[in-house]
Amino acid sequence: MINPSRTTIPRGVFERFSQPVPAKTATTRKEKPSLFKTVFTLPIIFYALLLIALPILYVFFLSFLRSDNYGGYLYEFNLENYGEILDSTYLSIFLKSAVIGLATTAICLAISYPFAIFLRGKSERKRNFIMKLIMVPFLTNSLIRTYGLITLLRKNGVINSTLLNLGLIGAPLNLMYNNLGILIGMVYTLLPFMLLPVCSAVSKVDQNLLDAASDLGAGKVQKFFKVYLPLTLQGAFNGSLMVFTPAIGYFFIADVLGGGKAMIIGNLVKNQFLTARNWPLGAALSILLLVITFLLVKLYKKIGGNLDELGGG
Amino acid sequence: MKRLSSSVKTILGSILAVTLLVTLTIFVFKKPKENVSDTSKTLNVLNWTSYIPLEVIKDFEKESGIKINYGTYSSNEELLAKLVSSAEGTYDLVFPSDYMVDLMSSRDMIVPLDKSKLKNLENVSPLFLGQSYDEENKYSLPFLLATTVFLYDSTKLPRLTSYKDLLNEKLKNNLILLDDQRIIIGAMLQATGRPMNDVREDSLEDSLNFFEKLKPNIKAFDSDSPKTFFITKEVDAGLVWNAEALIAVEENPDLKISYPAEGFALSMDNYCLVKGGKNHDAAYLFIDYLLRPDVAQKIVDEYPYISAIKGVDTVPENELIEILNNGSYVENVGADIKKFDKLWAKYK
Repeated sequence: MINPSRTTIPRGVFERFSQPVPAKTATTRKEKPSLFKTVFTLPIIFYALLLIALPILYVFFLSFLRSDNYGGYLYEFNLENYGEILDSTYLSIFLKSAVIGLATTAICLAISYPFAIFLRGKSERKRNFIMKLIMVPFLTNSLIRTYGLITLLRKNGVINSTLLNLGLIGAPLNLMYNNLGILIGMVYTLLPFMLLPVCSAVSKVDQNLLDAASDLGAGKVQKFFKVYLPLTLQGAFNGSLMVFTPAIGYFFIADVLGGGKAMIIGNLVKNQFLTARNWPLGAALSILLLVITFLLVKLYKKIGGNLDELGGG
Repeated sequence: MKRLSSSVKTILGSILAVTLLVTLTIFVFKKPKENVSDTSKTLNVLNWTSYIPLEVIKDFEKESGIKINYGTYSSNEELLAKLVSSAEGTYDLVFPSDYMVDLMSSRDMIVPLDKSKLKNLENVSPLFLGQSYDEENKYSLPFLLATTVFLYDSTKLPRLTSYKDLLNEKLKNNLILLDDQRIIIGAMLQATGRPMNDVREDSLEDSLNFFEKLKPNIKAFDSDSPKTFFITKEVDAGLVWNAEALIAVEENPDLKISYPAEGFALSMDNYCLVKGGKNHDAAYLFIDYLLRPDVAQKIVDEYPYISAIKGVDTVPENELIEILNNGSYVENVGADIKKFDKLWAKYK
């Protein structure tokens, strides 16, 4: 009886067991998570705290320190790192990153919609099969796939030599080591993140609405803008969020396919940690990326997006 | 009955979850076995990737009975970060380059070498000793020397002798540079007649101007494997490390190597003992082994940098003297490193 609260917990548990199980309505489920659920979510909570929340807090803390120029830091609280971010050199990199991110998102959208509408007309078996075909290559590490793209895109690569042999071009095309290469790489790597939510949203559009639109004389273009687009906006935004955010950070694609000529925010962060030995500035840049993501998620919620869908695709 | 089964499920579930958590925790916090076993027989080495052939390490293990735990890094900064973030005693032997030797010794991270423990010390060519970063070789002994060189296709281009030759119209979108800010900014500084480690604002501004002129010619920056660009005929010229250049020449004899007249970068990697290392005796044995000419030869056969060991077939002595005179090491510039970092962002 030293600590009465210790005995009340198990008693409460047994009381719950002896009582009739309440009907599972949405409200009761939310109010009282069962012990079973609590115990099973604990490892996840533990994991999230230890490996996600704690490191982010550490990065946040780091971003207010001062670099000692030797890869370490001095415990002097200051806002200089955030001031540094606003320097015109860095701002132009943010702008470039945003342009690359937006272009990637736009191209992914332009590919995903026609594909999703095409897929909608297929039987479920065919649909599953096609989706599997799309997903399988993505089980390979993205860095390896990026290197694989080099053999296709380079000056004497598969694409250029085929086109040259067919006599379609006179000189090899510059498909990589420029912004085009970065775009190809980004779109290729991030397309599934757009395809999945857009396909799922398009497949849910009510056939009756489409039929009604057709009856009223709507053509393909009109059906797309008046029916598909408004009804699938959430899915499209969901996908855009998951394409844009990594696109401004995937430094390895800018390095490998852009020939290291274009710097995006991801490269900038990497440089602070690996060459400039300025961890606090790198941390401040990472926080900036987090803030951008956070704002985009806020926006997504505001237009009525469901956060669960964001996680599950 | 149903209720009972659900409570059984709950209890079973709880037991399962707790067991899972406990096993995970044990896995996470359990120390690797090697560390607890006989430490006198294991040597913890941290070295550059692609630097010592596996065969050399295996031979040493067989000969000495010492097991080598071999870790790698791909930049001096990565090495620094690994040493700073690991517990004392994790590593015995590391291979920092010139300026990193200076930085590490000034920050008391490496210990002075006891040269009496090295029987093969006399094999080290005196040309490599007494370099600016450690004039008395108190903390370091030279291992391999790398230099930046021009590599170009002699069937398409005249001999490259100066950085200004890189501005050639024929090289439009046809040039590769190392993806290394200190080396490339250093080269641009040398191209404009300044020293490689110049941190004055006007010098850096000049280097940026020269770089802007060169920019249309640059196809890519790559430090990992610039030779691939030559082997696949992606580019006709570049500024690359000597070993990469030699490997490319083996593949394509039309490629030629030359040195920039305005100067170029040197990078000397060294043996250094980490402070607090548990097995420095084994480290001395390994260094002594690497100082043997036959072993040094095996290393440069695979990775053709310039060996610091006498009698190893690399470059002739007179050429070496010239290289050491005309090249410069990257120097530790302290807080001015921020200037280079910002300039690099501007470059790109």
